[in-house]
Amino acid sequence: MKRIITGNQAVAYGVMLSHVELIAAYPITPQTTIVEELSELCARGRVKAQFLKVESEHSAMAACIGASTGGVRTFTATSSHGLAYMHEMLHWAAGARLPIVLVNVNRALGPGWNIWNDQSDSLSQRDTGWIQLYCEKNQEVLDTILQAYRIAESVSLPVMVVLDAFVLSHTSEAVDIPSEEKVNGFLPLYSPKYPVDPMNPVSYSGITTPEYYLEFRYKIQKAMNGVSEVAKEVDDQFKNRFGRGYDLIETYGKERGEILLVTSGAVTSTARTVIRKMSGKGWDIGGMKVKMVRPFPSREIYQALQGAKKVAVIDRNISFGVGGIIAQELRACLYHREKRPPVFGFVSGLGGRDITPDLIEEAIQYTLDHSQPEDDIIWLGLKK
Amino acid sequence: MGNQIIIDHESQMPYIPVSQGDMEWNKTGTWRTQRPFYEDKTPPCNATCPAGNDIVSFILRIVNGDFEGAWGLIREENPFPGICGRVCFHPCEVKCNRGRLDEPIAIHALERFVADFAFHLQGQKVSGKKKERVSKKNKEKVAVIGAGPAGMTCAYHLARLHYDVTVFESLPFAGGVLRTGIPSYRLPKEVLDWEIFAIESLGVKVRTGVRAGPAMRIEDLSGYGAIFVASGANVSRHLKVPGEKSRHVLDGLAFLKAINLGEEINIGPRVIVIGGGNTAIDVARSLIRLGNHPTILYRRTREEMPAFEKEVVEAVEEGVELKFLVSPIHIQDKKGLKRVECQRMKLAEIDETGRRRPVPVRDSAFFLEAESVIVAAGEEADLSFFPRGIKKRDGIVLTQGGGTTTFEGIFAGGDVASRERTVAHAIGSGKRSAVAIDCYIRGEDSEKALQSLLVGNGPSVSLFPLFHPGRPSRNPHVVTFEELNMDYFERMRREKETQYPLPERIKGFFEVTSPLNERTASEEAGRCFNCGTCNECENCYTFCPDASILKGAKSLSHQVDYDFCKGCGICFVECPRRAISLKEESR
Amino acid sequence: MKKIEIPASENLAHGHLACAGCGAAVGMRLILKALGENTVLVIPASCWSIIPGPWPYSSLRLPVIHAGFVTGGATASGIRAALDIRGYRDTLVAVWAGDGGTFDIGLQSLSGAAERNEDFIYICNDNEAYMNTGTQQSSATPSLAWTTTTPAHHPKENPKKDIMAIMGDHYIPYAATATIAYPDDLLRKIEKTKQVKGTRFVHLLSPCPPGWKIPSEMSVKLSRLSVRSRVFPLYEIEEGKYTIQEESLKEKIPVEQYLRLQGRFSHLKSQGLEQFQRMVDDHWERLVKRARC
Repeated sequence: MKRIITGNQAVAYGVMLSHVELIAAYPITPQTTIVEELSELCARGRVKAQFLKVESEHSAMAACIGASTGGVRTFTATSSHGLAYMHEMLHWAAGARLPIVLVNVNRALGPGWNIWNDQSDSLSQRDTGWIQLYCEKNQEVLDTILQAYRIAESVSLPVMVVLDAFVLSHTSEAVDIPSEEKVNGFLPLYSPKYPVDPMNPVSYSGITTPEYYLEFRYKIQKAMNGVSEVAKEVDDQFKNRFGRGYDLIETYGKERGEILLVTSGAVTSTARTVIRKMSGKGWDIGGMKVKMVRPFPSREIYQALQGAKKVAVIDRNISFGVGGIIAQELRACLYHREKRPPVFGFVSGLGGRDITPDLIEEAIQYTLDHSQPEDDIIWLGLKK
Repeated sequence: MGNQIIIDHESQMPYIPVSQGDMEWNKTGTWRTQRPFYEDKTPPCNATCPAGNDIVSFILRIVNGDFEGAWGLIREENPFPGICGRVCFHPCEVKCNRGRLDEPIAIHALERFVADFAFHLQGQKVSGKKKERVSKKNKEKVAVIGAGPAGMTCAYHLARLHYDVTVFESLPFAGGVLRTGIPSYRLPKEVLDWEIFAIESLGVKVRTGVRAGPAMRIEDLSGYGAIFVASGANVSRHLKVPGEKSRHVLDGLAFLKAINLGEEINIGPRVIVIGGGNTAIDVARSLIRLGNHPTILYRRTREEMPAFEKEVVEAVEEGVELKFLVSPIHIQDKKGLKRVECQRMKLAEIDETGRRRPVPVRDSAFFLEAESVIVAAGEEADLSFFPRGIKKRDGIVLTQGGGTTTFEGIFAGGDVASRERTVAHAIGSGKRSAVAIDCYIRGEDSEKALQSLLVGNGPSVSLFPLFHPGRPSRNPHVVTFEELNMDYFERMRREKETQYPLPERIKGFFEVTSPLNERTASEEAGRCFNCGTCNECENCYTFCPDASILKGAKSLSHQVDYDFCKGCGICFVECPRRAISLKEESR
Repeated sequence: MKKIEIPASENLAHGHLACAGCGAAVGMRLILKALGENTVLVIPASCWSIIPGPWPYSSLRLPVIHAGFVTGGATASGIRAALDIRGYRDTLVAVWAGDGGTFDIGLQSLSGAAERNEDFIYICNDNEAYMNTGTQQSSATPSLAWTTTTPAHHPKENPKKDIMAIMGDHYIPYAATATIAYPDDLLRKIEKTKQVKGTRFVHLLSPCPPGWKIPSEMSVKLSRLSVRSRVFPLYEIEEGKYTIQEESLKEKIPVEQYLRLQGRFSHLKSQGLEQFQRMVDDHWERLVKRARC
């Protein structure tokens, strides 16, 4: 059933269709309408979950950890400072191997207070052991949540589904909301591996000495190594059932061209129009949308880069002291490989600054005009 | 469960740190620097009792509702609980640690209660009951002279050791001073009869009407492996004042004997009683019951009277007049009456008894008149029938350890061998002599045997180990009040026995004191600290941080689990009664 | 002299790593006996993250969820919801948190859960400092006490927070103080928490030999003295109504008898002792006043 809904509403529907059993969340702009929508759906009985209106994001994640250990399907959503506050517990959720799904609405971190679109919040959590999936459209948001539970419960790692503040969260698009029966065939009920059982008492997450800790961390990495295969399989099944899929990355335009422009999130839509326009003018430009940022799909990205002479990455985020995060990760994945095209790292759009088609064109033009980037970071749209 | 888990490959591990086993393999007992252990110690009551009663244990049985068992436990040591519970001077109560919190346990009342309980349970009839014969009598014969508390106790324990005992008694009845010297309003005759009967039931033969002396010389007694002489101190001491041997001047012991044997006595109505001990009080209170008006003259003050305080109080209640700091100097006759010339006394410096010496006040003479005078100024032992050469001193036969005299094969105990003249001491000496005689006959070292049986630091002994070998013995350390934990005790009222009210009380010689009942006895027994004795209060089990106190399958069989005990010492501190000891851990 | 009836099952098995004489171990052992095996225990970071033993072992014979320091109230809320959803409505959820995880860093999470009247039993194991990290001060440390961050020449100035008043003011159905020297009282109160729904709070004072600088055998004794000196009164708040236990109403002993047995107060001279006594008296008056209303 197609409806015109915002990204946040799409989240709510995704949660409803996933038969989530426990929701614990704390409001923060621009996630608030997710929480409000879910409250409404819970009150109307359409979402049959228990909703814990916790008093902070840290507690939201702690409650999800408690509930997930208890053996139920859990969900939370947050943004920016809320995610940063949750940071300690993000590590804990991954270390405890709990299949929690978190929706993060990408928003800038203060000071100064800034409620607008920025990827620094989610990307600064990339070391916590969470799988991270970025969405370009509201449809993708809903669909990714359904896939996220499949992936999470298969590999026993938590999944963060990310969407842009306001651009997606508060903007309406046409979204096909699948029927419950169709989803049930795709996403079975949660069957936990070590649920709490008073008849079989064990201790969870106790102190682990140097003698064993290494091996547990090894297991997490091992699970991460298996994620791309699982994610692809899940996406294939999704494609078969629902007629649409997303893969870990998506390439479009001229793959074997002068430049491959790499983006993630909603800005990809803008990038598509720019690349179409420039291709129309005769330029050989291709585009790559990175959906899965964690685990970083090095192999897939490398294969997709084969044909490009140069790579331009637009990062709507920054890791101070290094530069744009996707650019940095991409450079790293190329390092020990044969074909190493120059990588131009553009930083733009922080704090909701609009990444306009003109800016994207500027980036492409710069890349065309230079054989190597002049610097690790090239700022787009800076007032100077 | 319980074992260490060995992992050498990552694949053996679950994917999350979920526990796989417990910590039973981790023997935290290796942490210990001090080691607690259960060890019963000696309470001050046990240590003080001259008769060697295991007081704390019989009180514990009362707490557990086993009154008959409590009685049985006393009789492991002392065949006369009914008597001691009534007439003992109860030094146990003076030393009772409870006295430091509120009031000492009324131990005598509890002893009397269980004796009466058993008495009622087992029937009061003595006469007509068939005397049971103990089947085994495979050891030698022993002779006892005197069927008083010392002699009968010795006979009792020797019979339990399967000796063939014959007791020779000069009077027509057994009992000694218990029969002749203590009035029945303090000690009913049926109680005495029953407890003597119980001793005879073990096969002890009492031959009354036989007096040791020229007609029957001790050294001529043949066929006996040993002889125990406990003939008592029955000779009244003289005042050494003029007129003492005149008419209507009686001696207190003879007076009491006459009353107790049911003889007619012509006396009074006014009677002057001279003396301050139990005999004087017994005499005076008996006189009251016979309708007389006694006046006691004592040369010191009330505080120094050797008579039991309770007896003095009751005497005063009954109308006995007491005159203190008065000493008679001349007993005269005047117109058919006795006229006693008295002198006032005052107290000077402390003498060899530890009391201040009374000295006459000059020119203070005065006169008292009465129909009769009774002298109750102490008693002495008749040592005349002892074999020549046996060592004596200061009116007693000299003895060592378990009553051995300088004459081989002759042992002595009770008042004839000691100046500590109480029933309890007599019982204690009879016990020690039983052990000494048994050792002598078997050719063993009696000193060593007695040493091994000491209660606390002695001199009392407990014969329990002789009859129940293998049972754990108490540590002789006497538990002090400071070693107890008062956090677990609150002040409580002491239960009291009731006295028969006046004026009915003096209308006859029936018993004055009524016993506690089951409820009051249980409550009073419940006040006992049980010093040094585990009573399963379970504090140790409750407070152990390491679940290392194991409750045994049997009662009172707690153990420390040394595999896990960390030696924190909480059990030691929180044991209210110091039944747990702590020592350095040896490594 | 009474015999205490204690359930027999040992849900804290021996072999655990608590210090010799640990007051909390006495408390945990007794409380777990009372709670029973149909309980899920949540343990935020504290001594008890270590005491049950390292992976792969645990000496706690219940399901235990070790949780982040901050998160006692929140984790318990989550596990409670999960158990209810899965139909384990009779399974108790209990939190065992230290004073750090209750008074300080965990206060937000506890307060949020209490405001929601979450259905769990929250036991604050109060040893009056951050003991697991080596005896640093917490807001549960009494004034004038030595800790590693309040050395003897500059001891803690501010008084201990009144956590019972804080919890009472959340309008939860039941809150109580308890301590190990009064096991009957403690077990009775735990039984009560089992009968009530909603947030139940138990403030358990647990003497700590290394942190209080006391010999290991004195833990129970000091627990008793804390009550008898009214430093730690025993009372309950049931639906807003206060009941002070008999043990705390009887004649008190001077605080000096409690303080002088502890090395962490050994630097106190008469002025400090008087100050402490005044403080205890004032707090007692406040409690009595509140109880009367």
